[in-house]
Amino acid sequence: MKKFQLLAIAIFSVLFAACSESNSTSTEQHEHFEVEGWRLYSAEWDTLYSVYRGKEDSKLPGLKVNANCMSAHIHVKFLDENNKEITGPNDEEHSLGWDVGDSKILDIHFEGGWGFHLKGLKEGETKLVLKVKHHDHADAKTPEIKVVVDKALDADKCPFQEDEDED
Amino acid sequence: MKTSLFRAAMGSLLCGGFLHFSFAQEFIQDLGNSTVVAEQSAETILDGLRKDEELQAEKLDRKISTTIAETIKNEPDIAIRSMGPAAARPVIKGLSGSHVTLTEDGSFCGDMSATSPDHAVASEVLTAHKLRITRGPQILSHSFAAAGGVIQVEHNDIPFEIARPQPTAESNTQIHGFITDYAESGQPGFATVIGANANIHGLLLKGELSARNMSDMKTPNGNLKNTDIENKGFAIGAAYNFERFKLGASFRNFTSNYGIPGGFIGGHPNGVDIDLFKRDLTLRGLYLPAQKSSDTLSVTFRLNQYHHTEYETKEYVGAEFAVNQANIRIEKFIAQIGPFFGIHFGTELDARSIEMGGYVFTPPTNSYAASLFSVASLNGWRDGLEITLSTRLGGTFFKPSESIVADKDAIEDRNFALWAIAAEFSQRVAPGKFLTLNVFRTTRAPTIEELYNQGPHLAAYTYERGNHKLDAESGYGAEIEFRDYGEIINWRAAVHSTWFLNYLAPRATGDTNWSQILPIYQVSGDDALLMGASASVETIAERGFYAQAGASYVCGFYQNENWSDMPQIPPFKFHGEIAYLWTHVRAGVNAEFALAQNRTDRYEERTPGYATFGASLEFHWPLTLAHYSIVLRGDNLFNADVRNHLSRLKSVMPEKGRNVSILAKAEF
Repeated sequence: MKKFQLLAIAIFSVLFAACSESNSTSTEQHEHFEVEGWRLYSAEWDTLYSVYRGKEDSKLPGLKVNANCMSAHIHVKFLDENNKEITGPNDEEHSLGWDVGDSKILDIHFEGGWGFHLKGLKEGETKLVLKVKHHDHADAKTPEIKVVVDKALDADKCPFQEDEDED
Repeated sequence: MKTSLFRAAMGSLLCGGFLHFSFAQEFIQDLGNSTVVAEQSAETILDGLRKDEELQAEKLDRKISTTIAETIKNEPDIAIRSMGPAAARPVIKGLSGSHVTLTEDGSFCGDMSATSPDHAVASEVLTAHKLRITRGPQILSHSFAAAGGVIQVEHNDIPFEIARPQPTAESNTQIHGFITDYAESGQPGFATVIGANANIHGLLLKGELSARNMSDMKTPNGNLKNTDIENKGFAIGAAYNFERFKLGASFRNFTSNYGIPGGFIGGHPNGVDIDLFKRDLTLRGLYLPAQKSSDTLSVTFRLNQYHHTEYETKEYVGAEFAVNQANIRIEKFIAQIGPFFGIHFGTELDARSIEMGGYVFTPPTNSYAASLFSVASLNGWRDGLEITLSTRLGGTFFKPSESIVADKDAIEDRNFALWAIAAEFSQRVAPGKFLTLNVFRTTRAPTIEELYNQGPHLAAYTYERGNHKLDAESGYGAEIEFRDYGEIINWRAAVHSTWFLNYLAPRATGDTNWSQILPIYQVSGDDALLMGASASVETIAERGFYAQAGASYVCGFYQNENWSDMPQIPPFKFHGEIAYLWTHVRAGVNAEFALAQNRTDRYEERTPGYATFGASLEFHWPLTLAHYSIVLRGDNLFNADVRNHLSRLKSVMPEKGRNVSILAKAEF
């Protein structure tokens, strides 16, 4: 009988010790990079697209590229709560991310920093969502941006040649 | 047993066995048997009748489903708040979150299911021996929220029940075991529990293993992706009885891995996978005084760890919570003293720390709570009148830590003094007929999320804003209930109303967080009126034709110019069943319908009504010292498009479609 009692006490002592072990989080809390809007500029710093608090500026030309061509570099800037332009975070944790609605029509070429190129694959229209990625989580994202891919051009007739200097 | 009690028990049996023991005493008197001198029961007749409504044994087997909420969904005043099949939590009288307390074996259920719609209840329903919805003044022995309710889950982890204080030499070893298996087609998969209790030389032991593995839920519109559930658990317990003391301990471990669907506006494209574990170490001591062993003193200590991780991808943690909680509950029971009987009083002390990680925007917070509670009944004041009085006094203290995610101005210690009282007057107006009035003051402290949260919650598709200046919620309410226990049918009907002062709830503001493009929900305190009614009727025959039906309705209004509707209020719902009962077989058909919910808060979507039909076939039989049960059930046989108004997924996908389930159980 005493054996059973001792065994029970031993088991529960072990479990009590197990429960006394710390139960802690393994990840730090992450601060969000909060933005109220996005602005996209061409390589020549002409505004192509702007959205602030969900309202897109319809007077702007938007994003276009020809199939079989790469667009010039597109700069990404952000808008704060006062509609003032701010630059993206300059650290290793944050990066530009995207989702393309139809990956047969459009591809994105990313060269680091807060900018990218559109790569037209097939004539048509699709949606693009840009994101500020924090590790693998999106701190911020755009609404769906319409991207028009115009008719295909021969590589040598594309407005932007990949070997051109940017900016 | 005295002759009077024996006769009362026999009376109960002769009346079809539907009467609770304490009620049976009164019933005999009602029949005019003047020779009966009924002993004072340790509980009111009404509480006895309520005990008969607990879900246990065959009644529980008949209703077992994926979660506790699904299992009790057709009980009066119950609805389900959900976000996929795993994250389902009961709602009582339109009240959810911390208005509804869950306990396991009488002590707190240390999970975070009250705080967010995507958090599951960390308890495997198949391991429950009994589910009880506590109503009336008894709520205050566990919670301040008298307007809501307490769902008590009994696992019997500390096996006092098979106690044999002085086992005889011939039978000093006893073993009791069971195995239960459940499988269904609506969310293909299975669940199983194996358990055993043993009495070895007076040392009472319990062991239990459980597992559940269910794939994505099937709806009439196709599979709802990422709704799989994988639960595992075990429990061990031991108890030993000394002459005047009973001592016991148990350890319960529960792990769950379940999915929250995604791919909707504002949600994660692939949904969220949630891993959680919960560990409970419980120590309990009972003292049985020599002069009156029924007047017990119990001390329960529970140490709880809960860990919850939300993965947005396999590599990165989206949100993480680590909760460590310790609770001690000291409770004295006195069967009778002076005019009072069934007296419970005691204290509860609680310390809880919670850490957050990942993209959780609530600061780590320590909280401390202390409370005193008492429940007592009296009668003899007026013939057939029983009164139950209860009170709970206490306070809660929140101490948040500084955090990079929180606004420094919002990091403020808060403390709340809380008090709640309830009085229930139950009058027997005629033989077997009871009219009951319950009046109460309800209250609750805000949760830490309601106070301090400030950020997106992707799994819930919302941007949540707390308010560190919130006051405690309070309210005054009443419920009137009539019960009639006849020779053919029993029926009850109740109406309830609560006037809330500072009703705390997250409300859609109509604003959007443009960074995440998520709707902003802000916790606010508003005066509100909640009203409702429920009714149920049941035939009492234990053989032959059987019918049962129940309906519940609740509506809520904020006090403003338009008396606008409160959010997340379930619509009118009806459930009915017709069955035929043989000695070992039960066959039935059932129907359930809910009306459309058009009474909605601003920015809340309306929900269409639905009707579903089901059937069941049960076999229960004893054989060579064992008892076997098989329950076959078909739910939503016509594959109706069911939208639950309290589901965050209602606009995306319907609830479970046609579902055939089987439960098989063997006890020895």
